[in-house]
Amino acid sequence: MTAKGIRIQGLKKRYGSGDTAVDALKAVDMHVAPGEVVGLIGPSGSGKSTLLKCLGAVIEPTAGKMILGDDVIYDDGWKVKDLRALRRDRIGFVFQAPYLIPFLDVTDNVALLPMLAGMPNAGARKRAIELFKALDVEHRAKAMPSQLSGGEQQRVAIARGLVNRPPVILADEPTAPLDSERALAVIRILNDMAKKFETAIIVVTHDEKIIPTFKRIYNIRDGVTYEEEGEGRSFE
Amino acid sequence: MKKLPFQKRTLALIAVLVPLLALFVYVALRSGPLAPVSVVLATIENKSLSPALFGIGTIEARYTYKIGPTVAGRVKRLNVHVGDRVKAGQVLGEMDPVDLYDHIRAQDATLKQADAQLNEAQVRRDYAQTQALRYEQLLQARSTSEEVVATKQHDLLVAKAGLTAAREERSRVRAEREALGAQRSNLSLIAPVDGLVVSRDAEPGTTVVAGQAVVELIDPNTLWVNVRFDQIRAQGLAPSLSAQISLRSQAGEQKAGRVLRVEPLADAVTEETLAKVVFDQIPDPLPPVGELVEVTVTLPTLGATPIAPNAAIHNIDGNLGVWQVTNGALHFIPVSLGIADLEGRVQIREGLQVGDQVVAYSENTLNEHSRIHVVDHIPGVTP
Amino acid sequence: MISLAGRDIMHSWGKFVFTGMGLGLLIGITLSMAGIYRGMVDDAKVLLDNSGADLWVVQKDTLGPYAESSSLYDDLWRGIRGMGGVEQAANITYLTMQVGKQEGDVRAMVTGITPGGPGTPGWPPHLVAGRQMTRSHYEAVADIASGFKLGDRIQIRRTQYTVVGLTRRMVSSNGDPMVFIPLKDAQEAQFLKDNDAIRGQRRRTAENPAFNRPDVPGLFDAVIASQTTNPYVNAVLVQVEAGHDPEEVAESIRRWKRLTVYTRSQMEEILVGKLIATSARQIFMFLVILSIVSSAIVAFIIYTLTLGKIREIAVLKLIGTRNRTIVGLIMQQSIALGLIGFVVGKISATLLMAPIFPKYVLLQPLDSVMGFMAVVMICVLSSIIAIRAALRVDPAEAIGG
Repeated sequence: MTAKGIRIQGLKKRYGSGDTAVDALKAVDMHVAPGEVVGLIGPSGSGKSTLLKCLGAVIEPTAGKMILGDDVIYDDGWKVKDLRALRRDRIGFVFQAPYLIPFLDVTDNVALLPMLAGMPNAGARKRAIELFKALDVEHRAKAMPSQLSGGEQQRVAIARGLVNRPPVILADEPTAPLDSERALAVIRILNDMAKKFETAIIVVTHDEKIIPTFKRIYNIRDGVTYEEEGEGRSFE
Repeated sequence: MKKLPFQKRTLALIAVLVPLLALFVYVALRSGPLAPVSVVLATIENKSLSPALFGIGTIEARYTYKIGPTVAGRVKRLNVHVGDRVKAGQVLGEMDPVDLYDHIRAQDATLKQADAQLNEAQVRRDYAQTQALRYEQLLQARSTSEEVVATKQHDLLVAKAGLTAAREERSRVRAEREALGAQRSNLSLIAPVDGLVVSRDAEPGTTVVAGQAVVELIDPNTLWVNVRFDQIRAQGLAPSLSAQISLRSQAGEQKAGRVLRVEPLADAVTEETLAKVVFDQIPDPLPPVGELVEVTVTLPTLGATPIAPNAAIHNIDGNLGVWQVTNGALHFIPVSLGIADLEGRVQIREGLQVGDQVVAYSENTLNEHSRIHVVDHIPGVTP
Repeated sequence: MISLAGRDIMHSWGKFVFTGMGLGLLIGITLSMAGIYRGMVDDAKVLLDNSGADLWVVQKDTLGPYAESSSLYDDLWRGIRGMGGVEQAANITYLTMQVGKQEGDVRAMVTGITPGGPGTPGWPPHLVAGRQMTRSHYEAVADIASGFKLGDRIQIRRTQYTVVGLTRRMVSSNGDPMVFIPLKDAQEAQFLKDNDAIRGQRRRTAENPAFNRPDVPGLFDAVIASQTTNPYVNAVLVQVEAGHDPEEVAESIRRWKRLTVYTRSQMEEILVGKLIATSARQIFMFLVILSIVSSAIVAFIIYTLTLGKIREIAVLKLIGTRNRTIVGLIMQQSIALGLIGFVVGKISATLLMAPIFPKYVLLQPLDSVMGFMAVVMICVLSSIIAIRAALRVDPAEAIGG
């Protein structure tokens, strides 16, 4: 875990070949510092989800460079052998829906990740509970996901994203199903966690309620990103 | 507080799975070849034994009289019906004489003819005698030749022989006449003894041959039972043993009787010993001849002796014996058996003591290595 | 590391156990089918064991007395008894017929046994109640499978018999219960017709001038008597003296008596190889079909369960779970289902199906072990379809369009 955040240079992604080729990403440049929360905004079909999948090491880009902290993870080819370990240890995910495993209690839902990395169960659970404390859901630690409210589930999902202390967190429309009060609460939490754990957070969203809170925004259109100043409004 | 929902579920799951596993283990151990064999034990007791022999037989009449004519003829009349009681000498029926009377008349005529011929022979002899005497006198007077005298003497001899012939002929004819007379009396069918008519074999008008029975009589006081005993189970059968007789039509009712005799000829084909058993008192109404009866002959009671149920006796490798249980262990003990009664008790002569416990009933065939489990009655059998 | 499969099962244990029970009944039927086959073979073995014989002497060139009808004169046993190596020889008759009770009747194999004592070939070797027959007529020993009780009056043809003893597992190779009666009664039962037929026969004989001659009194009665006796039995059971080889004794009987003789192993071959071969094939087919059906059902259930979790599986893959772990999750669930099914199946087969099935069901431990291994293998193989579906899931699906 380094303090360098995530940096992307000239990322390209082409689907297909020959006449039917589609360039989903043409030229993507991004950098997010540790502790920073940036928004990634764009209409559907702009390459937003493709970019997220590349960032999440789920699909392989066609060309470009991705640097995570001090490590080059992609340079015209994966530079890391075990993508799964990469996703598990160095990238955190927060989805539209919490997607908690219904048959594990929330503690184990979160503790599962460190356990998969090899941490003993007790230590993994302790770390999960620490995060719950930070996210103010400690009182629900033993509940099953179905017993939590939507907001509580989302906070647990955020805890899961953070639990392995990854340098970067990708949040895909985390506030879409929420009302403005809760949406702002989620963004506030993300900002708090980013600062606390020095994590770079990229939030993909088109939720008008939270866009004003970003200090920096990346706009993506037709596979090209454009950096913009955000409003940086506070979370009230 | 939050722990409860989880634990309740675990408890519920345990509540289902544990009994299931327990049942599984029970099933694995208690059924199939791993299970012990249930047995019921019996104790050798000192009891007296009333052995008996059992046989089935038929009611028969000791004497059956078949009354019929001695010559072929036609039945003219029958005076009795089946079931009638008759007295000795009673006329049961009559045969049709047909041409008997004509024969008699013919024979009478022949008799008269014989008489006449006898007379003629006598006259001839008298004459010949007179002639012989006269010519003998004439010979003395030298008035005739010796040849003539010889001829006359010869004639006399011939006449005497002729007389003898005629006399014997007349006896013969008379005897034949008497025979026909006897036959005429034989036309009546007479009951030889007091008895009961059991069958009319030929109705009036039927032609019968000599010796064919027209009416059959039995003496109801001489009804007896012809009983057959399996030779294997006829040990001890002897005359004057008491017997219980049960008629097939009166199952359950026993009549008293006794063994009259054991037949010297047994039935070699069916391997049975035959005996005759008589009623102490002929039952009234008379049981039909031919009815099936069951006879139980009681043998002399045996004093107190060790007995075992015959269900406990087994034959293993040619040895008769029992499975004895001592302190829970199973052993096969050969025994020597004695008398048995009809209720399944058998005397043990050698091999066991009074008080020994033996296996009477078992679920499966036992062997030296069987594990046993003593019960009151075998499962599946209602007591 | 926690057990994902265990947690999933605990979470929806009701559904799991319920499904497992359903599968268990299917497995129970499969185990029972195997038990029925073993029971049929055991019926044949038990029939041979209980007869107490080492050799079976039957009518020449027949497969009797069980597989084919066989008729011998009832005095042949004497000649056999006198041969070297023969310990005991006894007549026996078998006839499968309806035996009457007060209400209704029962199909049973009526066996006529020679008078003698326990140990005579053909006699039931052990009883579960009552006593052996002591009278030479009108007593019977019945198997409890017939439903008769001690003291019952049963009707065989025109005579009533009193049940004096009960046996267990004395059945014909078909599974019909055996009823033992004295040989002479059995010969009569086998041969004697109903009264109308007897009267008809008498009438026909009376009309035949060769048999009904008035000048030969007694001829007609003698002919009628000969028509109503039955000097035949179905087989002679032979016990061989200790120390003699049954096959040798059989060969000498074959040679000198010119009858067909079967040893114990030959009879077993006839019964198992010929008599129950068709049924065995049918049952084997059922076994195969049931196994295929069970496999299909397990595959279907596991596939459905997996599809229901496909989102979670995508998430798991995305957050970095190894394929191995996901495969383990599915396969462990499949095997757990199989275990529950097997336990329920074994219990239901032993406690439910075996007692109520009309034929004898013999469940052997070896069959259970093989069945268990088959169930596990079926579960493993059936889960392959679900595993393939799970592995094909693209983790990117967790990230929405």
